[in-house]
Amino acid sequence: MKRSVRALASFGALAAVSLVAAGCSAPAEEAAPEEISIAFVMGAESDPFFQAMKLGAEEEAAAQGVTLIWQGDPSNYSPETQIPIVDTVLAQNPTGLVLIPTDPTALQASVAKAVAQGVVVANVDTRVEDLTDVLTFITGDNADGGARAADAIAAKIGYTDGQKYEVVVGLTSPTATTNVGRLDGFKAQVAAKYPGIEIKDVAYSESNPEKAATNVNNWLTKYPNLAGIFAIDGTNASGAAAALEAKGLVGKVALVGYDAYPDNVAKIKSGIFTALIAQDPAAEARLAIKTLVEFIKTGKTSTAKEVVIPNVVLDANTSEEDFAKYTYVASN
Amino acid sequence: MTDSNQLVAKVRGLATNQISILVGVLAVLTIVFTVLEPKFFSTATATNILTDWGSVVLIAVGQTFVVISGGIDLSVGAVIGLSGVVSAYFMVNILGESTKTAPEDAYIPLLLGAIVSVAVGVFVGYVNAILINKAKIVPFIATLATMGAALGLSVIISDGMPIGGPNDFKLISAIDPKWMPFSVAVIIVAIVVAIIGLFLHKAKFGLYTYAIGSNAFAARAAGINVERHISKIYMLSGGLAGLAGIYVYMRLGAGSPSSGTGRELDAIAAVVIGGASLMGGIGRMWGTVLGTLILFTVQSGLIMAGVAPDWKKVVVAVLIAAAVAAQTLQNRNGRK
Repeated sequence: MKRSVRALASFGALAAVSLVAAGCSAPAEEAAPEEISIAFVMGAESDPFFQAMKLGAEEEAAAQGVTLIWQGDPSNYSPETQIPIVDTVLAQNPTGLVLIPTDPTALQASVAKAVAQGVVVANVDTRVEDLTDVLTFITGDNADGGARAADAIAAKIGYTDGQKYEVVVGLTSPTATTNVGRLDGFKAQVAAKYPGIEIKDVAYSESNPEKAATNVNNWLTKYPNLAGIFAIDGTNASGAAAALEAKGLVGKVALVGYDAYPDNVAKIKSGIFTALIAQDPAAEARLAIKTLVEFIKTGKTSTAKEVVIPNVVLDANTSEEDFAKYTYVASN
Repeated sequence: MTDSNQLVAKVRGLATNQISILVGVLAVLTIVFTVLEPKFFSTATATNILTDWGSVVLIAVGQTFVVISGGIDLSVGAVIGLSGVVSAYFMVNILGESTKTAPEDAYIPLLLGAIVSVAVGVFVGYVNAILINKAKIVPFIATLATMGAALGLSVIISDGMPIGGPNDFKLISAIDPKWMPFSVAVIIVAIVVAIIGLFLHKAKFGLYTYAIGSNAFAARAAGINVERHISKIYMLSGGLAGLAGIYVYMRLGAGSPSSGTGRELDAIAAVVIGGASLMGGIGRMWGTVLGTLILFTVQSGLIMAGVAPDWKKVVVAVLIAAAVAAQTLQNRNGRK
């Protein structure tokens, strides 16, 4: 009886490990005894942002000759699903862990657990509250992205002092910290440089591009003189672009979006988007892995405790080379 | 007049009553929102509301059959995303079309895409039916499972990004922005809804659905092949979700994995506001059509009136609670 329980348990463990291994995208190379392995636990696989990040992580892991364990929930960006994934990954005894905490407080214990186990930890994109145990925190600059969006809208509408302009902002949810950061940056820049721009309304798309299109449709009816739209993420950008196309208002309303989905990047060229603010998730991932490997090998690192990777503004003047560099690429 | 005739007359009176209540609610909402924002009373607003109505009414109609039969279909939102993504993938990678395809050349690819989209939906409905009939899983759990699977698959196929493809945005825009708020796509949806409505109220298909929802044992005893009919209902619900998938594709010009996120709850809300009972056996097509219209009138009205978006959920919640309370009261009165 005891034996069969043990056999069952070991079978279960084996199955779990092989399942996790099957989820890894790193090429299975022959394992040297003291091989470095970096676990990378991201937010939600369905987000193109993390798809772009995955490519950067894979590139850097290959360049450094380390094994990459890429994990995360398929679609839920939440601590409830992320914490057990971190636990499973730590059971594989990685040398380093890159963690994108889906909640600053809920994931603090996971970081402590990893460090207690001797795993070096880096945070990317989002952070845990207390960075003491974290080697480095690398992120995009959301406030800066919002400010640049304001600049792009002002340039498109030919902003002149004394004139009044109506602008709206499409968000995904009231609690997404990246959305809030971008909106704050946008508002601050408008207040500082473009007092004639009035932010009339904000609405939420709940991650659904069709709902984003609905919001824009209603705004266009309510504000017939609408000058500009700031679509704060990729989903809002897709929905807003579709709404302008359906209403025949392409080029008449300034539309600045976020995130370089290939489909949206193509719409810069056709004049639907005034500009897209692109983050560089691949660069964030590359730097995180490089830093961890450097620290594991030498015991020190040249990377700062907190690093902000600047945003890039893609517009009609962007070179083909930069378009190719910053567009999020599909991973398969 | 015999007893059964009296019963029929009473039921008919009740239904008519419910429909008139819904029309009244719609009228009151229109007046309130027009007072709050005069621009609300316009062809443009009608276009906005009808455009939103077009996708959700399709899944709400499917849901009406499911709910009347005593079940629930949570997979329809995810099916909108999956079918949109699969048909976009098909049009782009198999037919070789792209966003650069001229609008006038987009019709045949869109038609083929629509067939693929509906087929995907019917397939998911078929899987639901197998889980419910063969594996004996309750509909709530069975369709929750396919919801997750459909969402996951759509992310895998699309890499989480929208797949842009051929489109003619004219199909989804008002025929005449000044006088005619309907788009070609909305007219097609209305025709589909009308035909399916006849199936519910004038054909054996609908009669069986009510019979199963009222009392599955009695329906079986009366010689209805309950399992087979349940399968047909879930495949119908899936197929309509697939049609909604191509509709949303046309709205966005792209198949996007998240384009149905949360829509299953909108559909259930519309069906319940329309007077259907989640206990099965009760529900009408007009109720669902008006319930969906009320849902989007509220949504549009709140944006137009400049009400904070968080209130939308509160208002919809109040509507659902009111609808269910009205139903309970009516049932109690009916029993007296």
